[in-house]
Amino acid sequence: MKRVLGVALGVLTAIGGFVDMGDLVANAETGARFDMNLAWVVVVGGIGIVLYAEMSGRVAALCGRPVFDLVRERLGPRFGLANLIASFFINFLTLTAEIAGVALALSLVSSVNYLLLIPIVAFLVWLVCWRMPFQMMERVFGLLGLCLLVFAVTLWKIGPDWNQLLSEASHPHVPGSESVFTYAYYGIALFGAAMTPYEVFFFSSGAVEDGWTKKDLGENRANVLIGFPLGVVLSLAIMASAHLVLAPRHISVEQLSQVALPVASAVGRVGLAVVIIGIFAATFGAALETALSAGYVAAQYFGWPWGKRRSPRNSARFHIVVVLTLLGAALFGITGVDPVKVTEYSIVLSAAALPLTYFPILVIANDPNYMGPDHTNGRVVNALATVYLVILLLVAVATIPLIIITKGGS
Amino acid sequence: MRLLCATLVLTGCVDHMVGPARTQDDFDRKARTTASAARSTVETVRLVAETASDGNAFGPYSGVSVSEQEDTLTEIQGDFNSIQPPNGTSDDMRAELNEILTASLHHVAAVRIAIRRGELRAAADVAQPLAADSDALTAFLDEHA
Repeated sequence: MKRVLGVALGVLTAIGGFVDMGDLVANAETGARFDMNLAWVVVVGGIGIVLYAEMSGRVAALCGRPVFDLVRERLGPRFGLANLIASFFINFLTLTAEIAGVALALSLVSSVNYLLLIPIVAFLVWLVCWRMPFQMMERVFGLLGLCLLVFAVTLWKIGPDWNQLLSEASHPHVPGSESVFTYAYYGIALFGAAMTPYEVFFFSSGAVEDGWTKKDLGENRANVLIGFPLGVVLSLAIMASAHLVLAPRHISVEQLSQVALPVASAVGRVGLAVVIIGIFAATFGAALETALSAGYVAAQYFGWPWGKRRSPRNSARFHIVVVLTLLGAALFGITGVDPVKVTEYSIVLSAAALPLTYFPILVIANDPNYMGPDHTNGRVVNALATVYLVILLLVAVATIPLIIITKGGS
Repeated sequence: MRLLCATLVLTGCVDHMVGPARTQDDFDRKARTTASAARSTVETVRLVAETASDGNAFGPYSGVSVSEQEDTLTEIQGDFNSIQPPNGTSDDMRAELNEILTASLHHVAAVRIAIRRGELRAAADVAQPLAADSDALTAFLDEHA
């Protein structure tokens, strides 16, 4: 019974922790601008993250070592370094966006300028990273993130024609007012938001922090096969809410406050309070994950002791990287750089670096020396993962030209 | 560092001066983009005001949301005014759009003031003139489609 409860809690945490600043912005922005014509990308990205997160969780549970640790060993220091530089830069942008997201959520209830709140938020993130036990940190913010289910309630309250909504989502086309390039650009943004690299680094490092073993493979599967798809449904609810409330008024999403507007409009003050708590939890949880991921990737590449399960005295360099990255992200955030634009670029550039993250996972998950003879990928998983790798490569090649052609999606 | 700054400016991550419009077509396109962005801010403020009047949004959220839109609209107008119009036709277009933007900004400010004073129930009434601004922006977009 205790185990079932543990798995259920893990699944709920996975749902609540699935959405972050990138998903909030990308889903609302595309829903308002492209209606449901890009919903299929959320589904494709969702399947991708399920596929590769399951692999990385399995690798961590069987080897007792996270993915990044094995990348350098299996693919060599050069490839590992390229991966480290790209991942660290994108993770830094994501952390900046998440910290700004928390500050923006707090400003919506306090009326204090978000720039003044950024240093406080960065301090709080550091404090939680430093003091709160790993599992409690994961559960508290994951479960609070479930408040975002209010987007599903919003949809139900609006009472759309479900058949029409499904038909729009399943018959995608480029809207007349948009070019094929902007359609592709925002498609890549959604894909990058769903498959952000830090999710895999955190997921596999978290599995090691939680002390997963072969016995936990079932929990790994439950988290990714139930929790993540429900997270995808949540993302689609955000998109559909924006499509139904904002698009008819020609509102394009440029601010985080606009993401919450459909909820306030349909559900009222309680809904608004709940969605702001959800946004706070989702962005704060993601800020914790990205801050820790910065320490994870650096420490795992250089072979330093790492993790929250060790005392700071025994993992000093890991904690220094976390603190310095937080400080850097906070300083970058208070320069006045547009948080929504930073979010957009973090997810679009994530897409460009995705093969660097996911290719090594596929290689290691097929290596019996690491996985043992019974736990390497099966044929179906390998076939799907290979198709995704090709998609990832195509996306990576197209990203930079699309940023230039569309002038950042404008 | 220079490379990072250049990248951020080129990709629109931070505010920057808008380049000149070399042809009438180029100016038309920039004017349409401006009108479309302005309509989005005007409609957002209208929706926030209606939501607040219905008792569906609390003061700080409404105040911050409208202030953000006011700042955005100010930026939009500033960016548009910094575009060099290439000829007389574009001078007329610039004046026409500027008139709508100035009126919109004035009306958005009135909503912000009402909400900041705690007059949430009256916000929708104060926002009434924004409906005409939105219509004017739509008409502008249709006219120059």
